[in-house]
Amino acid sequence: MSKLTNLKERWEDIFTCMNCGDCGYAIRAPVGRFLTCPIKEAKGEEGFEIYFSRGRMNVLKSVLEGKLPLSKELAEFVYQCSECGNCSEVCHQSQNENIIHCTSKWIDHVEVWNALRKDLVEEGISPLPRHSELINFMNADNMKNPYGEPKEDKIKWASEFSIVKESADLAFFHGCSIPLRQSNTLNNLMKILEAGGKEIVLSQDEWCCGSIALRIGDEKVAKEAMEHNIEEFKKIGASTVFTACAGCYRTLKKDYPQLLGEELPFEVKHITEILNDMLTNNEIPFKGDDVEVIKVTYHDPCHLGRHMSLYEIPRELISKIPGVFLVEMKRNRKNAWCCGAGGGVKSQFPELALEISKERLKEAINTGAEILLTSCPFCINNLNEAYEEFKPEFDHQIRIMALIDFIASKI
Amino acid sequence: MTELYNKLERVVSEKFISNDINLRHAYSRNVDVVLHGVPDIVIRPKDAQEISEILKVANEENTTVIPRGAGICEFGGSKPIKDEGIVLDMKRMNKVINIDVENLIATVEAGISWSKLNDQLSQYGLYTGCMGPGSGMTASIGGGISHHSVGGGGCAKYGACTNQLVSLEVVLPTGEIIETGSQANTYSKFSFNRFGNGPDLAGLFCGDNGIFGVKTKVSLQIFPRPPFADYKTFQLVRGKSNEVSAKIFTEIRKKGIDVYDAMFIPDVVVRLGLEYGLFPLWKDLKKKRGMFFYTVEANSEEELAQKVKQLDDIILKNKAQELGSEISEGNYAKWHYTEQGHWQTYHNLWGMLPAFEPLTAECFTPINSFPTILADLDQWDIENNESMRKIFDITQTRPVVGTGPVLLIDGNNVELTCGFGTFESYRDGEYHEIIKELNLKLWRSMLERVTKQGAQWYMMGYMPSQIMVEIGAYSEEYYNLMKSIKKVLDPKMILSRGKFNFWGD
Repeated sequence: MSKLTNLKERWEDIFTCMNCGDCGYAIRAPVGRFLTCPIKEAKGEEGFEIYFSRGRMNVLKSVLEGKLPLSKELAEFVYQCSECGNCSEVCHQSQNENIIHCTSKWIDHVEVWNALRKDLVEEGISPLPRHSELINFMNADNMKNPYGEPKEDKIKWASEFSIVKESADLAFFHGCSIPLRQSNTLNNLMKILEAGGKEIVLSQDEWCCGSIALRIGDEKVAKEAMEHNIEEFKKIGASTVFTACAGCYRTLKKDYPQLLGEELPFEVKHITEILNDMLTNNEIPFKGDDVEVIKVTYHDPCHLGRHMSLYEIPRELISKIPGVFLVEMKRNRKNAWCCGAGGGVKSQFPELALEISKERLKEAINTGAEILLTSCPFCINNLNEAYEEFKPEFDHQIRIMALIDFIASKI
Repeated sequence: MTELYNKLERVVSEKFISNDINLRHAYSRNVDVVLHGVPDIVIRPKDAQEISEILKVANEENTTVIPRGAGICEFGGSKPIKDEGIVLDMKRMNKVINIDVENLIATVEAGISWSKLNDQLSQYGLYTGCMGPGSGMTASIGGGISHHSVGGGGCAKYGACTNQLVSLEVVLPTGEIIETGSQANTYSKFSFNRFGNGPDLAGLFCGDNGIFGVKTKVSLQIFPRPPFADYKTFQLVRGKSNEVSAKIFTEIRKKGIDVYDAMFIPDVVVRLGLEYGLFPLWKDLKKKRGMFFYTVEANSEEELAQKVKQLDDIILKNKAQELGSEISEGNYAKWHYTEQGHWQTYHNLWGMLPAFEPLTAECFTPINSFPTILADLDQWDIENNESMRKIFDITQTRPVVGTGPVLLIDGNNVELTCGFGTFESYRDGEYHEIIKELNLKLWRSMLERVTKQGAQWYMMGYMPSQIMVEIGAYSEEYYNLMKSIKKVLDPKMILSRGKFNFWGD
């Protein structure tokens, strides 16, 4: 008999779901709400209720009542969720601060899915095969990253940049995706910081932040990484740790204190906050001759937006870049459509992730923007792959760029 | 796989049918906390033809079929109440078939939500008038027609959604496909009128709670949204709020003002809502008393001003106090109309505490009778104190009896969203069967009580439909007529078997 330790802790969330179904179907145009669940929509006509929150909550009610056991089959369903948190938004939102929905006090959907995943792992039912590989890579002493790359590859770029010092107030948390898969963005970031006169310090032995293990449900692996990283950054002694990865940001800022049960001895910032401050202080020397106005749109990464409420800073930042006109997608901020990469979907169900990104790309293209900007390496990767996959189906072209790369192209 | 499953799979293909145990549990519940049942099979049909084939198979195999729109029935109606049967998930059928802007008629597949249709209509400056039920952001149009739904906005002006019905395509329980109204004439190219070509057979399926057929296509009248609107909220500061609000509703009707929405939010809702932090817009008010609001639409500023004056005169004469014009100043009506809060208002008290859900006795009743029903429910509450106490002993909170918002609908009637808020049987790692038993007992008792007050049920599911029969609320002649119709249409009683106790004798 399963212990269901983690799910039992979320019983209030699960049994407060009233079955209204708005997590599957809500459209409320005056407040910018156009549907909710990217997984259900990507499933299209096969969108049975188990693919969105209400159906899953019903299943979990049955699980807690002892009517349904945890199983491999159930795991196959539940990992088909990007944990974007859009169901929580629609469940909670009167979309007006003057009228509050009770459910916002009790239901945190993402935490429920995380609890379920933890129980599945603890019962030995998951990880699913591809997730197991990632966990193995993260466990390997010579890797400690989900890409299965040698650990030293993460840091090898550092010697090329004079801004990397032995000590500094600003410590850079690499994450894994940017140094191991998007090194051009990393170089561009250093170029911007260098141009702005910043100095940074690095850990020589930074492990994966633990986000991927957490989303898979392997809290043991995640905690080990957290404890290691915290010690590393304590040694460095920087007052601020920043990252260019939305997933690392959420994990460092929200999950670390929660899981480790202690306040962090440093402030955690996302790169958009750092760059926005630099722009405010005129520390980024933009090209003077770049006068052509370019129309861009911005995709809110779920780990930055819904999970951390960082909606306005990236927009402020974009608005300060010379010659840029920001046009919003139909669904933005709290209502933003997920790119589909999160929650382990990209690794285990890559086609589903692409299908979700396709929907987001259509929305971006509909704005008439030339460039789709975002600030998360997972989103960038998934959106780019989807763009290549479905290019013939799109009416117009669009370029997908990391905000960092875009700014670097202007200096 | 069973023979039944194999036959059905041949109809819809494997992608749209499942007997996976996990998936079936996803369809085992809806809003109420007590009526649970796991279907044997869930199917997502694509059109009337497939449904026809499914129903023929169900007849062959003598298996019950439960149509499910959006699955928000509050009386267990869109899923089985014991472990059996085939759930027809109608949400795959969610397309707009035609918006006839010339004749002002929209034709849609029955699984489409009110919000999706209205979103598309808004591009033409049109709307459905009655915006469906309070759950219309998700609720399906087919489900609305099956229940005479109200509550999602516009019901004081347009009445229940069935008032706008022009024609229906229905698959009969034995698989025949019919169309009603103007479409009963097979030469008619498009839907244009409900009545004529013989009796109003569409009416047979309006409010039928899914027992006479499966609605697959719906044509509705649509309306131009008037360019001017105003919305005001008042606090009822003197007298008994229930009686004062009933008086205001009646005077509005007597003056013949075509108010779009008028709603009374009772004292208990305001008080509890403030206690639990749900209404920051009212937090600074000194008195925690009931609210009244209206929304009115017009085609010119002059017309609007005239209607507003008439309404204000009535309400202010009853010693109500007008709140500020902005939402932040207390104007709930503005949120309700301009931000489509009409599809969220009824959700607001559910979940006030963890696992706290409604067991409702939502009904239609004449304006002048609702204060009496509410007073009787207070009495019922006292009479059932012992059972309430037993729930309290486990949950440390007593169930709350009363009504949610009271809404003016067509005629001199209101939708009374009465019932009691109670708790799920699962709490903190333990399942308490006793809570379920008490909830069921209390719910049945309340439904009996409200039925005996002469209220009219619209969403009936299994509970009110069975209680009406069991307590003899239907005359024998009326019940026999309904049953005869059911037998003619559905000789094996496969559709929603159990509702109205037609099955089993």
